[in-house]
Amino acid sequence: MYPILFLSFSGLITLFLGFFQEGKWVKPATILFLAIASISAFIDWNKPGAYFFNMLQVNNFNLLLSLVILITAILIVAISDNFKEIEYAHSAEYYAIMQFSLVGAIMMTNFQSLIMLFLGVEILSVSMYVLTGTDKRNLRGNEAAIKYFLLGAFATGILLFGIAMIYGGVGAFEIDAISGTLASNQAQSLFLYIGLVMLLIGLLFKLAAAPFHFWTPDVYEGAPTIFTLFMATIVKTAVVFALYRILHQSFQNMHLSWSYILAGCIALSLIIGNLSAVKQISFKRMLAFSSISHAGFLLLGLLHVSKTADKSLLFYSVSYLLASTSAFGVLLALKNERTENGRSNENISVFKGLATRSPFLSAVLIISMLSLAGIPLTGGFWSKFYVLTDAANDQFFYLIVLALLLTAVGVYYYFKPIITVFEKSDIQEAITINPIFKIIFVLTTLGTLVLGLFPDLLYGMI
Amino acid sequence: MDILGLLKNMTITHWSFYIVSMLTLFGALGTIMSKNPIHSVIYLILTFFSLSAHYIMLNAQFLAAVNIIVYAGAIMVLFLFVVMFLNLREENEELPKNSILIAASIVGGIIGITLIAAIRQTQIEKVNPYSFNTKTGLVETLGSLLFNKYLLPFELVSVLFLIAMAGAVMLGKREKGERHF
Amino acid sequence: MTDYIPQDYQPLLFQLVLALGFIIFTILITHVLGPRLKNAAKDAPFECGIESVGDARAPLAVRYFLIAILFVLFDVEIIFMYPWAVNFLKLGWFGFVEMLFFVTFLMAGFYYIIRKGVLNWEND
Repeated sequence: MYPILFLSFSGLITLFLGFFQEGKWVKPATILFLAIASISAFIDWNKPGAYFFNMLQVNNFNLLLSLVILITAILIVAISDNFKEIEYAHSAEYYAIMQFSLVGAIMMTNFQSLIMLFLGVEILSVSMYVLTGTDKRNLRGNEAAIKYFLLGAFATGILLFGIAMIYGGVGAFEIDAISGTLASNQAQSLFLYIGLVMLLIGLLFKLAAAPFHFWTPDVYEGAPTIFTLFMATIVKTAVVFALYRILHQSFQNMHLSWSYILAGCIALSLIIGNLSAVKQISFKRMLAFSSISHAGFLLLGLLHVSKTADKSLLFYSVSYLLASTSAFGVLLALKNERTENGRSNENISVFKGLATRSPFLSAVLIISMLSLAGIPLTGGFWSKFYVLTDAANDQFFYLIVLALLLTAVGVYYYFKPIITVFEKSDIQEAITINPIFKIIFVLTTLGTLVLGLFPDLLYGMI
Repeated sequence: MDILGLLKNMTITHWSFYIVSMLTLFGALGTIMSKNPIHSVIYLILTFFSLSAHYIMLNAQFLAAVNIIVYAGAIMVLFLFVVMFLNLREENEELPKNSILIAASIVGGIIGITLIAAIRQTQIEKVNPYSFNTKTGLVETLGSLLFNKYLLPFELVSVLFLIAMAGAVMLGKREKGERHF
Repeated sequence: MTDYIPQDYQPLLFQLVLALGFIIFTILITHVLGPRLKNAAKDAPFECGIESVGDARAPLAVRYFLIAILFVLFDVEIIFMYPWAVNFLKLGWFGFVEMLFFVTFLMAGFYYIIRKGVLNWEND
């Protein structure tokens, strides 16, 4: 609860810090603000309850979610290197909008009333539209921003329509009230079903799950890499737990109806994500399709209402956050490698000869790729394991088989960058890495390995 | 069905509802069917005005006023502004493909049928006109709800405005050395 | 107890009908009464001005749109003040502080716009 209030003000302060000494203090201040916000989350530790007239739900699990989001944001801000690749950068605004967007993300994970969910989605997505288009001189960035904005605004509209329908069916916005009504009535109003489907469409769009994924590759490729990372990690985590709260804590009695919709989305996401990623040349595009398939896996964790669903989802999110941060971070560390047209080279070929040029970076990249592919001894393996065991029951047996088959396809395309790393390149000069990057890479890679070797450290703790 | 009998029994409320609904539908259809985008915008303004009339009939006077001030007043003017200066000429106008039209009408039709089915299935409770609080939906009631129960969303809307402001300024500002036109 | 019903808007409806009727009436009557003249000079956009060149729909500086967008944002902000003003006495200091926070945020945004030089059209 407190991070929401704190970040609203700190974002405002950051906005004005940009006028002070040419914005020198903006980045350190942002990290400091995020750290304070993380600490302030602990004020609510062990004080469960609903706050602000039933608008926010505070409990230890939600607090942990806010913490995960805030710490990921700290990692992302730390590797954000003052936006040198963007012409006419307004770094103060970027950091301010990132903090504001975290307000939205935390609202989406801690909401109790659907009004707060809508407002959170809106705050998060409006910030994302803006951040996608920050590189004003890049035509692809402009195209991505327009596409994301038009489609996203439409999806938000459908989400709001869904919320209105649910209100029409139940007469309440609070998720407790909805689950109470569902538990007491046998026959449900048809409005509830329509509302739930529309709510799901809106949220699945934001999650980039197929068949609502069409914006993903273009937006991931067009946006500056740092904001792509932001989208892939924080937006995904926030949306998944918003879905968790809706499906598992308020609509659990309608499980039979929504699980089939979800199963269809999972199958499509896994197939489209994994098969389209195989042919990609651009690393960011490949990660975009991989993010679609990961959306499928995250939904797989939601498929079955079980007591361990929250644990496995959190584990999956954390390991995905760590691996994504390393993967996109390596691309950011290599942004001085240019192609012919002067832009940063974002193709997989940029990793050519990385093994000799920087063994450290190649190790980071390899471990992150292994984790994303789900190879044992990395966090990615256990996250897939937990999600699949959660989803395993007779009803959706074929989905598990499909997921396992497509994981094998995934191994193929995740190994492409790894093989490229060991190819010989004409350029031999060593790559210098910023010390902050080094610290972050050590943290994320160690995190991935620790999760892989001792999964119970996180899984048992929740 | 005895249509004449139905017509005889209609009260003034019924009449105004049907007239306003017809206007709304006419405006909405005009918005999507007219070829000239400026006509579309004007039809949309008509739709907003008739929606406001609906709000007044539902006793939601504040919403009616907001709808006219914000949507018909500010946002539609912005729309008109954009459309007028977008250099839309007859020759480079692209008509949507037939396949898209068919797909859109199928999806729209399905949604329409489901909504109609939902409305038919739902039993709407009759309001007792003697115990009904006529202040429901007036500004006063809305204000006391907004500033008590919905306090947090209200305050956080200002964050949303701030993002929109910073974003618009950041994306729309002319940078030093850029062409001026 | 006074009832607040949509029928209270009847005078407004009459006024609307009267206003619209007057407009339609004058538009029609001018066509009937006025002399009819049609030639190239009469149909020109500026009959006695410089001859018009090019298209009326020229691209416009993005600043105009920026100002229009900012206007919409502040317009919506003002709308929120209306229910607050109606309830001002009932809400008391609590409502005042709430509105103060809201307005502070938006005024900070306004100050930011001025500092950023968006409203400065002369020198940049």
